[in-house]
Amino acid sequence: MLSKPTWPIKATWPILALVAGIGLSACKILPTPSAQGVAGNASGFNPDKMVEEIWASKVIPYLQEKAGPFAEVHALAKTDQAAAGAKYGNPKKQANSPWTFAVRFEGKIVAANTQSRAATMDIDVDGDGKADARVQIGPAMRGTALRDSLDFVQFNDFTNQIDFAQFGKAFNAYADKTVLSKLPREALEGRTAKVLGAYTIEGGQDLPLVTPAEAEIGPKP
Amino acid sequence: MKLTRRMTLAAFAGVLALGTAAPAFAADLIAIITPSHDNPFFKAEAVGAEAKAKELGYEALVLVHDDDANKQSQLIDTVIGRGAKAIILDNAGADATVAAVQKAKDAGIPSFLIDREINATGVAVAQIVSNNYQGAQLGAQEFVKLMGEKGNFVELVGKESDTNAGIRSKGYHDVIDDYPDLKMVAQQSANWSQTEAYSKMESILQANPDIKGVISGNDTMAMGAYAALAAANRKDVIVVGFDGSNDVRDSITSGGIKATVLQPAYAQAQMAVEQANDFIKNKKSPEKEKQLMDCVLINGDNAAKLETFALKN
Repeated sequence: MLSKPTWPIKATWPILALVAGIGLSACKILPTPSAQGVAGNASGFNPDKMVEEIWASKVIPYLQEKAGPFAEVHALAKTDQAAAGAKYGNPKKQANSPWTFAVRFEGKIVAANTQSRAATMDIDVDGDGKADARVQIGPAMRGTALRDSLDFVQFNDFTNQIDFAQFGKAFNAYADKTVLSKLPREALEGRTAKVLGAYTIEGGQDLPLVTPAEAEIGPKP
Repeated sequence: MKLTRRMTLAAFAGVLALGTAAPAFAADLIAIITPSHDNPFFKAEAVGAEAKAKELGYEALVLVHDDDANKQSQLIDTVIGRGAKAIILDNAGADATVAAVQKAKDAGIPSFLIDREINATGVAVAQIVSNNYQGAQLGAQEFVKLMGEKGNFVELVGKESDTNAGIRSKGYHDVIDDYPDLKMVAQQSANWSQTEAYSKMESILQANPDIKGVISGNDTMAMGAYAALAAANRKDVIVVGFDGSNDVRDSITSGGIKATVLQPAYAQAQMAVEQANDFIKNKKSPEKEKQLMDCVLINGDNAAKLETFALKN
């Protein structure tokens, strides 16, 4: 480890570049080839730190501006995914990836699964008593919806898919650490919930699975 | 290797003899190089690319490198000698391949990579790869659910020289390690091989009879592991694979293996040929060099729609 004191200094460059919104291709750090032949974190890539540095300054303002009300977003997503993606998500996403949308809503918790570590709560947004969206409340979370909703994050700015994926996971971890782990877990049904987050259109889902960046749960009724 | 050399020499002789007077109607050549077709995944790539190349009016040269970087390098020489217009390549190592692709580039032949990334950009024209990490997360999430978030499990890892072996393993653990009641009792490489997975599974099972699940880096190893479990009367063990092969599809629909993750191998190879065609005819590079294709979870719900690495609607 003594031979690596320069890594943290080098590693700040891509972070600064990302914050400043400068194209990253000019300052990409290629990983040192590792013994396993697997490109990994040898470059000192620190996704958790990158997310921490952009969360309050870029991610939350972006989501607040971009997110649409759930009913509007979901209606457009069901009829024209690309239009919904351009309006509420990242129009420059990878062509073969599904669309992701930033969304906001407030509603009543009609069901909750807090037995699983991938805990969720089902929210009735339109007041018909039936669930419209499923919100992940961690600690284990699926997908990379927060990352994929951001129009300033592109796969080609990363060395490889491992770095890109770990950057995606870092958003979930940050949301869990700063927001979701502080939410109540008991007697959720009947309470109100307010969420700002993102979801990805996927086949085989019974409800849109929303990953929150901000979430509040009201008092017991 | 003698044959290769002879082919190279013959090709050179041909080029010398014909000079610039090559007949105008001779079809341009696209080389398609993949690992061994023993694995149906690589065969599907080669078949998909060849079909698309012929459809677009090219002659196709299909070669296999057997995951040997030296052999791959020799094949690139052959392809250069044959005057190919483009190379479609599922490569033999993320680091070792950079020089081989550079060699082709220096000879004026563009490479279009499929399936596996290399650790350099600006050398190949395109790298169209499956989002193995995303696919592994899908497979692991299904595995966690099937396991009821607890119990002992085994991981079979792929060939170490293949980038995707490491990527998938990381993707699996990215999800599974969030569940402290899931305990990995053994992690071994079976080198993508069905027979090796069978024998490794036999000995792992003897040492760890209390396992509840096996997560495998690909489908051929999943098939080997499931056969060993079935032979030991342990069909209760949950097995999850990766690739989306017809073998595993049949196992899923008959209640054997529980799930796999489909990589769109056939479509990916065809897309690479289309981009090569655009480059040859219009001098147009794809907008982005690295292109990710998302994977799809295959389980009892949709296995019947799977055919040769593609989902039918």
